[in-house]
Amino acid sequence: MNDQARENLVEWLKQVMDAESAQAANEEIRAGERLLATYSAPNPDARTLTVIKARMVLAAARRRRKILILRGSLAAAAAVVVIAMIGLLGPGSTSRAPTVHAAIIPTAIWESDNIEADDLDLVYFTSEIRRIEAQMQALEAGESESRGSGALQKLEMELMNVEIEFWKG
Amino acid sequence: MYAGRCYGYFYRLTGDRDLSDELLSELFIRLVEKIGSYKGGAFESWLFKIASNIFHDHLRGKQRRRRLLEARRAEIELEPDLNESRRSDMSEDRLDKLQLQLNRLDADTRELIMLRFHSELSFREIAELRSEPLGTALSKLHRGLKKLRTLMEG
Repeated sequence: MNDQARENLVEWLKQVMDAESAQAANEEIRAGERLLATYSAPNPDARTLTVIKARMVLAAARRRRKILILRGSLAAAAAVVVIAMIGLLGPGSTSRAPTVHAAIIPTAIWESDNIEADDLDLVYFTSEIRRIEAQMQALEAGESESRGSGALQKLEMELMNVEIEFWKG
Repeated sequence: MYAGRCYGYFYRLTGDRDLSDELLSELFIRLVEKIGSYKGGAFESWLFKIASNIFHDHLRGKQRRRRLLEARRAEIELEPDLNESRRSDMSEDRLDKLQLQLNRLDADTRELIMLRFHSELSFREIAELRSEPLGTALSKLHRGLKKLRTLMEG
C-alpha cells in the first residue's frame, strides 16, 4: 500500500519530544485518526464520475493533438537547422574565388536579325577554334615536340586574338 | 478508488459537494495533462500534490472573488435574507458534525489532517509534499487532531 502502515510514529515523535511525550502524542494521533475514520466523507455520484471520464477523454485527445503538433514543429525546425548547417558547413561553403562565366557567342549575334552574316561569322569562329584546339591537343600529346612550350603559348595567343576579333564583330 | 479518496479530501476541505465535483474534475483533467511529468515513485504522493495545488488555486481564486465582492459590498448587503437561508441549508442538510468542527480549525491544520487521512501517505511523504520539516508536520498534526477530538467531544 504505502509507508503509512510501516512507519514508526513514536520514533519520529522522539525526534521532537521526549520519549514519554512521544508515546502520549502517538496515542493521541492514533485516537484522532480513528475518530476521523468513523465519519466517512461522501463519494462522488455516478453522474459526476461519468462527466469526469468524458472530460478526461477529451483532455487526453487534446494532449495527443498538442504532442503531434509539437513533434511536427520540432521536426520542421530540425529540418531547417540541418539545411542551414549543410549550407554553412558543407563542401560548397569553402571560400572559393567567384567563377566568371563568359558567353562564347557574343550577345550581338543573339540580338541581330542578319542571320547570313552571323552564320558566316560563326562558321569562321568555330572553325578557327577547332583548328587551334586540335593543335593544342597535338602539342599536349607530344606529337609536335619540336615546337616546345613556346608554340603552345603562341596558339593560346591566337585563340585569344580570334575571340577578341570576334567580339569586336 | 482514487476518486473517492480525492473527493473526500476536497469535500472535507470545502464542505460543498458541487465544488468538490468541480475540483475532482479539475484534478483528473490535470492528471491527464501532467501524466508525462510523473516520474514514478508513490503515485498517491504525486496525485495528492496536484490535489493540494488545485485546492490552493481555488483558495486564491476565492480570495480574489472576495475582494471583488467587498468592492461591491453595497449591492450584496441588499440581499441578507437570501444569504442567511443558504447558510442555514448548508448547516442543516449538508454538513455533518465532523465537517462543522473541522471548519473551526485553521485552514493549514485542516488541510494537513485531511491530507494525512485521505492520501494515506506516511508523515515523511507528507512532509516532503508540503516542503516542511518532518517535526513541524508531526507537531501540527498532533495539535490539530487533539483539538479536533476536544471539539468533537465538547
